[in-house]
Parts: sequence; C-alpha cells; structure tokens
Amino acid sequence: MTAPPDDCLARNEWICGEYLSTRRHILLDAVGQHLQLTAISVLIGLAVALPLAVVARRWGWAAGPVLAVTTILYTIPSLAMFSLLLPVYGLSATLVVAGLVLYSLTLLVRNILAGLRAVPEETRQAARGMGYGPIRLLLTVELPLALPAAMAGLRIATVSAVSLVTVGAIVGFGGLGNLIYAGMNTYFKAQVLTASVLCVVIAIVADLLLLLVQRLITPWTRAVRG
Amino acid sequence: MRRHTVVAVLLLAATGCSTGPSLENKGAVTAPPGDSHHLTIGSAGFTESDLLAQMYALLLKQAGYKTSLLTVANRELYEPALESGQIDVVPEYAATFADWLNAKTNGPDAPAVGSPDLTTTMKALRRLATPRGLTVLDPGKAVDQNAFAVARSYAQEHHLKTLSDLGASGLKVRLAAGDECVQRPYCEPGLKKTYGIDITAVDPKGVGTTQAKSAVRSGQDQMVLTTTTDATLDEFGLVLLADDKHLQNADYVVPVVNRSRAGSPGVTKALGKLNDVLTTADLASMNQQVDSWRRLAQDVARTYLKDKGLLK
Repeated sequence: MTAPPDDCLARNEWICGEYLSTRRHILLDAVGQHLQLTAISVLIGLAVALPLAVVARRWGWAAGPVLAVTTILYTIPSLAMFSLLLPVYGLSATLVVAGLVLYSLTLLVRNILAGLRAVPEETRQAARGMGYGPIRLLLTVELPLALPAAMAGLRIATVSAVSLVTVGAIVGFGGLGNLIYAGMNTYFKAQVLTASVLCVVIAIVADLLLLLVQRLITPWTRAVRG
Repeated sequence: MRRHTVVAVLLLAATGCSTGPSLENKGAVTAPPGDSHHLTIGSAGFTESDLLAQMYALLLKQAGYKTSLLTVANRELYEPALESGQIDVVPEYAATFADWLNAKTNGPDAPAVGSPDLTTTMKALRRLATPRGLTVLDPGKAVDQNAFAVARSYAQEHHLKTLSDLGASGLKVRLAAGDECVQRPYCEPGLKKTYGIDITAVDPKGVGTTQAKSAVRSGQDQMVLTTTTDATLDEFGLVLLADDKHLQNADYVVPVVNRSRAGSPGVTKALGKLNDVLTTADLASMNQQVDSWRRLAQDVARTYLKDKGLLK
C-alpha cells in the first residue's frame, strides 16, 4: 500500500485550504441547494400562513384550532416528520420542502396573528369611519401595521429553516447537511467545520437581509423612534 | 414534483410490476426487463457504498447511460425506492440483504437465509428479490464480511494464521467487539463452538473502532472484530486470522437493480466488468484513501477504474 499523501486532508485538520480548493464545486452546489430549499419552503409557508392568520383573526373560533394544529405539527420530531411524509412524496426535494413548510407554519401564523391583533381598535374604527370596507381595511391598514410582528416571525422561521434543511440529508436532499452527515460518519473535521460555518453564515445573512427589508417596507417605525 | 410521483406510479402500474406474483412461481419475471436511459444509483451513505455507487455510475455512464447519484441514510429508506423505481441500481451485500429481505417478507423472527455459502445465499436472495421486481446481478470477488484480527507480534509468537490455530493453541482471549457479539452466531458463540477458542470476555468497544484496535495493540485485549475491507489494520500492527471453517456469512458485493428500469443486458454487462477485477483488498485500499486520507470518493473510484483499464 502506498504512503499517505502529506496534506491537511490526510492530517485531518479542522481548517484546511486544500479542502476548500478541491471541493469548491461541491460546497457551492450544497450552498445552492440549501438556499433553494430554504427559500422555497419559507415562501410556501408564508403563502399558507397568511390566509390562516387572517381567517383566525376574522373568525375568533378558528384561532384555537389553527394554532393548535400548527403547534402540534411543530412538535413532531424532524426525523419522524420526514419518515411520515415519505410514502406521500418519495425520496425527493419535495419531501424536505413539505416538512419545512409544516414547521414554518406555527412561527408564521402566531406572529402574523399577533401583529393583526395588536392593531389598535381605535385605528380600525377610524378607518371604518372613513368608509373603508373589510378588504381595504385589511390590506391598507391592518396588514401594514402587522408587518413588524410578521417580519419578526418570518426571520425566526427562515433561520430555523436554514438549520432544519440539514436533516434532509437522510433522504439525500439536505444541502450542506449532506456534507455534515457524511463528514460526521468519517470524522472528517474540515468538512464538518466548513459546512457548519457556511450554515451559520447563511442564517445570519438571511436574517440581516430580512431585517433590511423590514426597515425598507416599514419606514414609519423608524420615524417614531428617530 | 408531485406530478412526477403520479407519473412514476402510472408507469409502474402500466408495466405491471406493482403487483408481484405469489412465491409459488418463483423466478417468474413479473415485468419485462426495461432499459431506462437515465439511471439513479443509490448509496447507503457509508464510504464503501459511496465508492461502489461511484464506480457503478462511471461504468454505466461509459456504457451510454445518463446517471445521477442519491445518498440515502439507510436500507429502510432506499429499498422501497428501489422497488418503486426512484432508485435503479444499488450496491448490496448478498447475505445481509438476503436476511433483510427475508425479515421484511417473513417477519423479524423468520430463520436466517444468509449463510457462509455463496451459492446458497445467492439462491435465497434471488428468491426473495425477484417477486419484488428486483434483479440481483452476479457477485464478483469482493467480500465485506466480519473478520477477526490479532496483533502481529502475538500471531508470530504463537504461530497463528487461522482461527483454528488460535482454537488449538488454547490461549485465553479477550475480544474487543460490539456488545451484540455475545449473542450473534458469527461472533462469540461461533468462535467458541466452531473454533473452540477460549473467549474470556467481550470488551464492548464497537466493531473495528479506533478504541477497539488500540486495545489490541496495547495488549489489553487479544483479538478485535472488524471487517475484511478494513485498511487501517497495518497502522495498528494487526493481522487478520483466516476464517478457515467459514463461520462468516457470504457478504459478497452484488449490484441490485430495478428490473423494469435497469434489467437490460446493457446494465448487466457494464456492471459485470467489475466482477473479474475488484477484490476485497482493492476495496480496503479505496476505503483507506477516502476514510484516512480524505480523498473524494468519485476521484478514487475513477482513478481505480482507469488503472484497471475499465474506464477510458
């Protein structure tokens, strides 16, 4: 058997330039898949959560069941969730997205609903007094005022989706999780560290971007403070 | 994506492989062997499985197929996908897979069908796989089975080459292995009964772990349970003792394919090329390059196939 090559890969160092240069494409592909899975899940989650929250706000009796169901979904362990969805979606990226959407619901619904409930009754009455119908009231008064709370929920849901994507590795669609799991099995330090750091970076960047978006679309919150 | 699933189900229904025949007409081909141009090769996520999947992918690509790889955590997840045609080709181990299918078909308490004899094992495996729409291709020379190693100095001192030698020596042996070793027929009970080895204790340090091998190197334990494709034995100054009475099951590497998608002679021929070439030692060496030197499985597989003239 030939002698092992003498580089940081063979020495199994935590930080390894050789790893970064030889696996650049693999890392980029994994980051791409990670971003894609996160973005699609959060967007679909938002599209489902918004009407649920509005319904729960409009008809009080619906709030209990909606919150109960989404909270119960949130408590299902992620490994079990993917196994339960497996017969429906098979081994596919859709399986991972479906799981992540279900997890994002409770965070999004609760926060949007909290935002809607926080709209002062006087404000709603003033709008009605100005002749606003229910749809116009919702779109131009209630939803904009609920934005700060809703955006807070969106930020939490996004950061949690970034970390949950990694569990998708059990079916081969886990973005950076694929690398973390493979690295853990062979005690590959550089791979585990690099992929984990990239995961954290994605979460922080996504959070900051959403914070920026929130500031841009809710200029009045700053005006009050400033 | 959901449309894909529907299409896949319709295809399966159309080819008639969703309903298998009863076990009576064993060997009956339920669906005509198909030849899909795009093949998904499954890997079970550990190094050797990755390497084999990469080699299969490279050989199939050369034979004109489009290939993609899917790494799945375990057999419970990929075997149903193999039956449904989401995965088309998977590297398997004959005896282990036969026992797994047997447990799935006949319940967990069914008597084991995998055996140390390759012909018997393959017969049992094919009998179980065929009704599920799976074809088991021919095994090659490579075997990944359990094996026992001792320190080289210990083997020299007591003139040990085989497990029979160790039994005949009457030495007291403390064995580093997984804690399931005390019950498994291939482990402590088999070593005592088949070889007459005097096992004083099983040290539960895991199968082939670094701790287990270090314990033997330091003399704390005398023998360690590992596998035939373990390439790190040299580093620890260990040598394998031959399983001369064939206690271990015939875990030969076999490709298993979904018949309706990859049951064609083209696939069989492309993967068959590996059978005459790949040895257990080759697998061990490739495992080492990936596990100890952290080379990329794809590169290691490609270099190997090129060296052997299987890949242009």
